[in-house]
Amino acid sequence: MNWLDLLALGPHVFLVFGATSLLLLGAWCSKTRVILLSGIFVSLLSALLSGIAPPVDGDIAGLFSAGGYARFFTIFWFLTAAITLMISVRFSIELNLNAGEYVALVLFAALGMALLSSAIHLLGLFLGLEALTLAFYVLIASNRRSELSAEAGLKYLLLGAVATGFLAFGIGLVYTASGSLHLPEAFQGLQAEDGHLRAWGLLGWGLLLTAVGFKISLVPFHLWTADVYQGTPSPVAAFLSTGAKGAVVAGFIGLVISSGSAWKDLSDLLWVVAALTMIFGALGGLPQNNLKRLLAYSSIAHMGTVLVGILCQTPTGFSATIFYIVVYVIANLGTFGVIASFSRAGEEPEDLDQWRGLGYRNPLRCTVLTLLLLSLAGLPATAGFIGKFAIFHAAIQSGLVSLAIIGIISSLIAFAYYLKVVIVMFSPESQADRPSPGEPLEFGVLAACTTAVILLGLFPGPLFDLISKILP
Amino acid sequence: MIVPIGHVLACSAALFAIGLTCAVIRRQIIMILIGVEIMLNAAALAFVGGSAFWQQVDGQVFVVFLMAITAAEVAVALAMVVYLHQRKRTMIADEFNRMSG
Repeated sequence: MNWLDLLALGPHVFLVFGATSLLLLGAWCSKTRVILLSGIFVSLLSALLSGIAPPVDGDIAGLFSAGGYARFFTIFWFLTAAITLMISVRFSIELNLNAGEYVALVLFAALGMALLSSAIHLLGLFLGLEALTLAFYVLIASNRRSELSAEAGLKYLLLGAVATGFLAFGIGLVYTASGSLHLPEAFQGLQAEDGHLRAWGLLGWGLLLTAVGFKISLVPFHLWTADVYQGTPSPVAAFLSTGAKGAVVAGFIGLVISSGSAWKDLSDLLWVVAALTMIFGALGGLPQNNLKRLLAYSSIAHMGTVLVGILCQTPTGFSATIFYIVVYVIANLGTFGVIASFSRAGEEPEDLDQWRGLGYRNPLRCTVLTLLLLSLAGLPATAGFIGKFAIFHAAIQSGLVSLAIIGIISSLIAFAYYLKVVIVMFSPESQADRPSPGEPLEFGVLAACTTAVILLGLFPGPLFDLISKILP
Repeated sequence: MIVPIGHVLACSAALFAIGLTCAVIRRQIIMILIGVEIMLNAAALAFVGGSAFWQQVDGQVFVVFLMAITAAEVAVALAMVVYLHQRKRTMIADEFNRMSG
């Protein structure tokens, strides 16, 4: 650790100092809005700082990379945290949350995501993942008026704790077999022909993948997803479904790029996992009548598609995956943003019946939701379509034709449940209860997400160029 | 190393299996968390064994971080347990079953 390292870590350090001071400020200042707005300011400023910081050669203390890939995701997760805080303003005022704690936890989680995405050492990976998971244990249960929120917190806690055990033991076995925790070496050590510890190392790799599977809810480790999403307050669910999953995928891509032939031993297994995840995500969502559960199945299906992109093992596949993640994060933030903007005192319109006819009374927000859902579904001319197309194109190029076909078919099936929501919103019967009118900050988020989805759908080129430049 | 690395790994794998079984079978939330602690300790044992085998300090450093993370996790988990107990007056995981499907 020297001054250059500290300089490269500057934005992170700034974020932590900001989060800690807001945590302290929360003890004296009871103005929830002020604290949340300063939280937004801190995360935006950290994103800006990491955007303008001079490039640093090499890595940070051998744990985290300081390259373009790490920086891209650092900025991206800090912005995601800012957007999450923007859609949580009304939620935390109405529920009278301790704003200092809430903001600090969101910012700590964002830090964990940034570190996880830039990890080049298994210790850095572990610390980043735990930093974000620990913050989420509390955030998920933050709605103290709702019994479901407590239950979701418990379910996430127990499964997250077991996943931590898998991750730690997996890393332990990989280390014992290869003698290094640094990323390329840790997996190169596994390839030694004479190594009698190779079997242990592969077992460790398998356990590590299990932990990743828990975190991004791949089938058969997906069972927690729907329950946790249903109970979690929408602003937190927005952050959980985007940042927590996206950061794990970003860290996982780093792992896969450095893993070499250890990966090939497991790729057949992951082929099956990807296919099952896409099929379950598509079929499981069909009978759901709760919008948040439906979005949970949608996120399962998306993670299956992401795994197809990673399985390609080509630069085209990886850049398609990163593009897909960016688009998925934007569309999902917007979708949960619409739900949050309709919520009142922590009561959210979740049942599809509560959405019936809402499209006539709140045409603007429902149109935004329609557009974002269609992007998640992958309708042509939206960004979601470009993402899906890029991944399946890369999959066909690298010989995963049958996986691409399964993916396309399950995307078509998933269309049905996205369209169900749209049809319900614009069907004539109207219900009596009036959802919240929303507030300007939320409308700003929705406008930004919608613009981004449309622009990336029409002009995906610049983002693809950027991604191909930063790919490690 | 006096103890062969294979024995250390077998021991830690057994410990991991015991912890996982405990976490999966027991329905008491505290017992599930204890099971997880055993899993994490199995990981720590594997790290220390690997560290001694390769004559490096990396694994032992990881164990120190692992202890810190475990402590933080226990702190959060026990706070959640107290909160859940206040809400429902029960410690049985299966009682928290309002959502399913």
